[in-house]
Amino acid sequence: MNEHQGEFRITSENDIVMARKVVREVSTALGFGLTDVTRIVTAASELTRNIYHYAQSGVMHWRSLNQGVCVGLELTFEDHGPGIADIEQAMEPGYSTGKGLGMGLPGSKRLMDEMTIESTVGKGTTVIVRKWLKK
Amino acid sequence: MASESISVIKLRDLLLVTVPPDPGDETISALQEQVLRAMARHEAKGLVLDISTVQTLDSFFARTVAETVQMVALMGGRTVLAGMRANVAVTATQLGLTVGNALTALDVDRALDLLNAKPSGELRV
Repeated sequence: MNEHQGEFRITSENDIVMARKVVREVSTALGFGLTDVTRIVTAASELTRNIYHYAQSGVMHWRSLNQGVCVGLELTFEDHGPGIADIEQAMEPGYSTGKGLGMGLPGSKRLMDEMTIESTVGKGTTVIVRKWLKK
Repeated sequence: MASESISVIKLRDLLLVTVPPDPGDETISALQEQVLRAMARHEAKGLVLDISTVQTLDSFFARTVAETVQMVALMGGRTVLAGMRANVAVTATQLGLTVGNALTALDVDRALDLLNAKPSGELRV
């Protein structure tokens, strides 16, 4: 795979499945093993579903990371939905303002190496996750 | 894209459902409905969910499976989750997922054994 970045628009429930396919291809092409690919795809599934459920639409950006000898994948999930009032609370396992299990955000953080969330109520939310390829 | 088709197979007094590799939310919800209808129609005593080809088990999938296990239990049946891949098991555990009171088996063969095994008390003549 030659492209090192790309984006995918999320507008329907079926896009959750499509986003998983995109992330599976990209992370496999970068050289991640099957278990890491599954971790990354599962996190992407949770974060894409959050966009669809809370904001109805949004965008997933992906890009490969090269820091010296370290190779990784960064996924950015951006929406212009209602935003998260209390990020700390949203990160607590079991907490959900919707009909979810409250596993999406804290679980995705455990599956990935890094996670940052920026959110403004009424403006939207950006979640960035990274996974580094273990040598 | 239409949701993938799910086949619910009646096998003696059990139901066997093969979950597609990458099911969407709609497919997973449809699966639950089909299973419950088939449970009632066939008076099945158990359900085997073959997830050996499933690549991603996320929170929506896990919740629907846990709910289905609970509903099947209320209808008098037992559910065995069969064939979860190692990478899927690792990921689901790290994500913090549980599948309720489902029994588990390495493959469909063992799942059938598990459901057909009589409790030790019934073995006495």
